[in-house]
Amino acid sequence: MKNTDKQEQYLKKAGEIVSQCDRCGACLPVCPLFGAKDIEFSSARGKNNVARGILQGVIQPTPAAMAVLNFCLLCRTCVDNCPSKVQTDEAMIALRQYFAEKNGTPGAKYKALGNLMKNRTLVKFSAGALKVLRKTGLNSLVPHGMAPGEFTRKEYLASFAGPAALSGSVPSSPVQLAKKAKAAYFRGCGMHMMFPDAEKESIAILRSVTDLQLVDNVCCGLPHLAHGLRGDFLAMAKKNIALFEKADVIVSDCASCSGTLKHIGAYFADDPEWKDRAAAFSQKVMDFSEYLTHIGYTPRHRVAAKLTFHEPCHLGRGQGVKKQPRELLKAAGDYIEMKDANVCCGGAGSFHMDYPEVAAAILDKKRINIENSGAQIVVTECPTCLVQLNKAAANSGGKFKVMHISQVI
Amino acid sequence: MITNEIKAKIRAIVGAENALDSTIECFGYSYDSSFVPMETKNIPQLVVRPAAAEEVSQVMVLANEQGIPVTPRGAASGRTGGSIPLEGGISLSLDRMTKVIEFDEQNMMITVEPGMRTIDVYNYAAAKGLFYPPDPGSWKYSTIGGNVAENAGGMRAVKYGVTSNYVMGLEVVLADGTIIHTGGKAIKNVTGYNLTQLFTGSEGTLGIITRILLRLIPMPKMRNTLQMMFPQLDDACHTIRDMLLTGVVPATAELMDRVSLEAVARYRKLDVDPKVDACVIMEVDGDTKEDLKKQADRIETIAHKNSVLEVQVAASQQESDEIWAIRRGLSSAIGAMAPTRLGEDISVPRDAFPETVRLIRKISEKYKLTIAVYGHAGDGNLHPSVLCDLAKPEEAERAHHAVDEIFAAALSVGGTLSGEHGIGITKRPYITKALGEAGVNTLKLIKQSLDPKGILNPGKIW
Ligand SMILES: Cc1cc2nc3c(=O)[nH]c(=O)nc-3n(C[C@H](O)[C@H](O)[C@H](O)COP(=O)(O)OP(=O)(O)OC[C@H]3O[C@@H](n4cnc5c(N)ncnc54)[C@H](O)[C@@H]3O)c2cc1C
Ligand code: SF4
Ligand code: SF4
Repeated sequence: MKNTDKQEQYLKKAGEIVSQCDRCGACLPVCPLFGAKDIEFSSARGKNNVARGILQGVIQPTPAAMAVLNFCLLCRTCVDNCPSKVQTDEAMIALRQYFAEKNGTPGAKYKALGNLMKNRTLVKFSAGALKVLRKTGLNSLVPHGMAPGEFTRKEYLASFAGPAALSGSVPSSPVQLAKKAKAAYFRGCGMHMMFPDAEKESIAILRSVTDLQLVDNVCCGLPHLAHGLRGDFLAMAKKNIALFEKADVIVSDCASCSGTLKHIGAYFADDPEWKDRAAAFSQKVMDFSEYLTHIGYTPRHRVAAKLTFHEPCHLGRGQGVKKQPRELLKAAGDYIEMKDANVCCGGAGSFHMDYPEVAAAILDKKRINIENSGAQIVVTECPTCLVQLNKAAANSGGKFKVMHISQVI
Repeated sequence: MITNEIKAKIRAIVGAENALDSTIECFGYSYDSSFVPMETKNIPQLVVRPAAAEEVSQVMVLANEQGIPVTPRGAASGRTGGSIPLEGGISLSLDRMTKVIEFDEQNMMITVEPGMRTIDVYNYAAAKGLFYPPDPGSWKYSTIGGNVAENAGGMRAVKYGVTSNYVMGLEVVLADGTIIHTGGKAIKNVTGYNLTQLFTGSEGTLGIITRILLRLIPMPKMRNTLQMMFPQLDDACHTIRDMLLTGVVPATAELMDRVSLEAVARYRKLDVDPKVDACVIMEVDGDTKEDLKKQADRIETIAHKNSVLEVQVAASQQESDEIWAIRRGLSSAIGAMAPTRLGEDISVPRDAFPETVRLIRKISEKYKLTIAVYGHAGDGNLHPSVLCDLAKPEEAERAHHAVDEIFAAALSVGGTLSGEHGIGITKRPYITKALGEAGVNTLKLIKQSLDPKGILNPGKIW
């Protein structure tokens, strides 16, 4: 396909979506970005209509317009609240792709990020990855300098484990179907590079319930998709489809990975060669807590710690997985629901690097809600959220700690 | 043209970050929730977001001196293009003025800034046991200033009236920057012309509303919902008429025709009995359970006299929510039925409701277009929605003719062009028909005396 045709195609796709926008304004009070920077273009209405303006020739597709379309967390809060269910996030992804095709590149920074995530050797050796991060100026991915403030399971148990934790008093689960099913672990780049301890715990838990397959997978491709590197996304998706063909279930402990993988089928719907394989792949994907709840897993310990849950956008709104992590946490400790648990933390992939001030304003609201909940530990299931929440924990002066769900259950 | 010098002066008044001038930022202030097409010429040159009446006043002094057009804006949820800056200039967005200035429990009144969202006004009062009844469909995001400027109505209008029934007084910044205060807390007040009511519904053409004094009433303790299905639209309308004649006044009485019901059914995967031609949803409120039951019983009796097919009285909050979900989902369900929906807003005397719907059905047949009709049957306010595809020129022409005839139909039965959305841009062509030349001239004289340079919201109403 000619490049101009490609551009047309993405514009058309975005056009079909944004033409459904009634311009009512219901998305304004709910969009976290509008909450942090309350001018029209922050909101879904604003962005959808910038797109419409470009399509109708009322405004030009300038770098300023592109910046507006990049200014989106892709958190889907607007979609949830929109009376016409306008898929703003998908329109933004299509438009970013349009700009990448038009400019011939998504921009140096996203390209560097994309290349890094594509490169398995770099991702595999996180030390090397961190070096590249530093070199490309992407090290703000990692909180307070180069070392993520990971609170390990060992430290957690040492701090909170009373006699209850040692007794292992949680009754074991009656469900036992999954042992035969061949589950495979999908290794997310973010988890692997920044939270190896959590990754280790995820694997340990999965091993305890199934004969786990470890596959040398490649990146799920969400960072590429989000920033106009669709070709890379599709190429990696094909690799992953092929790699996981033997698994019955594919489990990921990163909400963004599982969310993206579940959608891969849709991206190949028009591709006669890959259509069925992609659909079969997507149907096998399960999020970590979704899978564990499904097979009736009960946490290894119950400790006397006050836990709360930050619901990643790609988990709750993206996959409808809301109850499962909470159920697991209720069994693992003293669970408290915080206010606005499902509101975006401002991380959103690389958004927090591009717009640090806005992301910080959004995060500050989250910090206050966590503090007000009185929880000692805030648990989540996405590495970007972990990075953000670690910053919040530092800002709170250590009032709470942050952990991945696999470290507490 | 707004020179850099003027921009600098305005920035000095409101703060640099509250005067936006990049095209992409200003573009966001060039449209509202109407079907007025986007245009480059509607992009304001400057978006100004003041935080206080004094700032508004200083900005107006400058604008008036320089002859810069100023278009006030709330949340741009308006349906008639009112906040679109037709002549560029300044978009004066009042969304930063969101404070409650005073809550006067003794007099049951509240004074608020114009940028407060309507639902926040309601919630603030409700937390104190008081009730601010007007509830436009957009109340979660529209501003109270926008409601006053449009004299917005809502579903509760049958029993409780519209915005103007609650506005007791205003602070208004005039075109030249003068700040005036109208009305006040005295319930009886006939000193001079009723400026409060003049500014209420003035669509941003006479002054900028910077402070609003609202009357509140005690919050009814209980509510319940009834849903009724009728074999004929006339039966539904007669039920509402008979009910009001015998003194039963529900808080809301919403009517949906067959097309609307089918739209919702499709959206929510429900089945509609083929015998049903119209549905009425009512809310009754009162202080005791007996109160509610009495009202519901009387409504049921009247409905049976008018051949109702089915009456459902909600037995729980959940059932009530389910019934209301049908009505709330209606607008988008209808919108989803066609590429374009021309959603109109006419208002007719209550007894002309069935006749008007019949006329609209004829128009629908004549132009071979689906027209869904729903509305606030209790007060004669209808929202006919013409479903079409404006991208097809031939169909667009038919649709526009249909809209013209809908307005003509409303006027022919003694009704009017707008029940609650105002005139703005979209209904300008029809205003002389509705008010007559002399009537429009009288409006223009008022405008002329308050805004001689014509800088406030130019291009609107006429
Ligand atoms: C889904 C939906 C449902 C709706 N339902 C209803 C309904 O049930 N009833 C109803 O009446 N309307 C309804 N509307 C229309 C709209 O919400 C109302 O007209 C509302 O009052 C507009 O408020 P706003 O803050 O969005 O004002 P805007 O749209 O920003 O402005 C409306 C007009 O008021 C002027 N204005 C705004 N603020 C001021 C101020 N402080 N001083 C002077 N002038 C000002 C503007 O110049 C403009 O002319 C609905 C709209 C939508 C999208
Ligand atoms: S809520 Fe949906 S329809 Fe309304 S303005 Fe936002 S995106 Fe558009
Ligand atoms: S996806 Fe999130 S950030 Fe983007 S417009 Fe919607 S609510 Fe706002």
